[in-house]
Amino acid sequence: MSGELLVIVEDEEHLAEVISDNLALEGYAIEVLGDGLQALERLRREPAPALVLLDVMLPSLDGFRICETLRREGSQLPILFLTARGEADDRVRGLELGGDDFLAKPFDLRELMLRVRAILKRAAWYRGPSPSGDTLVLGSARVDFKRYVASVQGREIQLSQKETMILRCLAEKPGEVISRAAILDRVWGYDAFPTERTIDNFIVRLRRLLEPDPQSPRYIHTVRGTGYRLTP
Amino acid sequence: MPSALRKLYSYGAVVALYALVFGWWLFFFANQGDFLVERVARQGIELEPATELALRSATQDTMRMFVFEGAFLGVLLLGSMMLVVRALQRELALNRQQRNFLSAITHELRSPIASAKLYLESLLLGRAEGEKRERYLKHAHQDLDRLQSMVDSLLQTARMTTKGIEVELAELELAAELQKIAAELAQEPQTSAAAIELAELAPLNVAADPSALRTILRNLVANAVKYAGPKPRVRWELWSEGTAAVLLVRDFGAGLRDADPKRLFDAFVRGGDEDVRTRPGVGLGLYLVAELMKAQGGSVRARTELEGGGFGVELRLPLAQGAAR
Repeated sequence: MSGELLVIVEDEEHLAEVISDNLALEGYAIEVLGDGLQALERLRREPAPALVLLDVMLPSLDGFRICETLRREGSQLPILFLTARGEADDRVRGLELGGDDFLAKPFDLRELMLRVRAILKRAAWYRGPSPSGDTLVLGSARVDFKRYVASVQGREIQLSQKETMILRCLAEKPGEVISRAAILDRVWGYDAFPTERTIDNFIVRLRRLLEPDPQSPRYIHTVRGTGYRLTP
Repeated sequence: MPSALRKLYSYGAVVALYALVFGWWLFFFANQGDFLVERVARQGIELEPATELALRSATQDTMRMFVFEGAFLGVLLLGSMMLVVRALQRELALNRQQRNFLSAITHELRSPIASAKLYLESLLLGRAEGEKRERYLKHAHQDLDRLQSMVDSLLQTARMTTKGIEVELAELELAAELQKIAAELAQEPQTSAAAIELAELAPLNVAADPSALRTILRNLVANAVKYAGPKPRVRWELWSEGTAAVLLVRDFGAGLRDADPKRLFDAFVRGGDEDVRTRPGVGLGLYLVAELMKAQGGSVRARTELEGGGFGVELRLPLAQGAAR
């Protein structure tokens, strides 16, 4: 959506210039920051951007730590990592720390635009009205999609953005099998992750939080070789 | 807590534990004669004074032998442990250096490619017109210059390590040559930000390679631009010492911070963590300086305690034959 605020955190002046010019041409409002600590301070303040394009190697604080700190503080800002280090380990680390997508330098301008649009679309899907409502009740557990919080036996547990998105994705079609590929596409964007199996780690944690007996789940079922089914 | 202090505490804890165990062991063995006599007395056996004395003496002799042998083995064990810890520390430092080098080189090669590619793609897609088009072309050109300079440094290093360095020595009047080089560096993109001051330079004839001299001074001034502020003051001082001409190239910046002074002239060594990158480069500049100086029969050393602060490098070149004083 045009007019949305994007923050670019990049210390290479030329890259910051050409990326911000091109995103501005698409109608986005742009802020550019070149220092890690300054970026963290800015991202803690309002107005919150619709998306952060975050370099990893930065002066004073690296991009991974910025992302980790923001997520620990409960921030759900969408983050797209832009980095020269594009190996599988770096991608996995960035995404497991709570990044939404990862683009290795050098990249195509059109690919960058597509990814920005895809992340904003996913964020809009999550912000929009859900056919299953804003809460999900699984026995004695209750998940609040807007607050990213699960209440289990009177105790409130903070969920990550990805965990909440996975639950909402499953809750939109209760009783139906949702493939891993479909979950990845909806929550991360399909090619962001190196393997579909990574999603299993998130399911394991969700079961530990929400199921009375995670070893024999009552609500979140694995359909062997396909994906998952939610039966509230 | 600083890591050096933490290390000191952990070493201190190991030594204290070792002293405690050794102390207990020493006490136990030193009194073994008494323990033995008491044990025999508890059994209701009364020993003749001469027998008791002989028993005590024999036990003490045996125990003394145990204490000396044990202490020797203990020292050996402690020494071996320290060697293993040192080897592990060296290995860790090497791994960190390798990871840092890979990160730095990846960043230095991919960043200018990424921006040049985006500038050119924007132009091809018709997303930049007029002044913006000119600016994009200029910036893409600068990115390619940066890339070329990085590739040149890497190739030069590779050539040096495989074939050695070839220099062509010629007799030069160093002061005049330095003035020419300073004027050239003032025009080059990597070094033009520095304000180069030439102290009163005495005329000295040296045997040097003018091209190597340019590379050396370009690297040193470019280093000052990276580490001593965006518009650093750089001063060149020249004098003679015996059969050598000495050139000091110094800045007035913050001096050495996180770099290890002992390894400044090693290849691919940069201070700190590459994830928290503050300056461009991969750690080749000073290595090339040292190698080029060696090839010309000269030497190089870092100067860290300079009046007015900052960092300096002292270059020594042999005076041309007949010019030595």
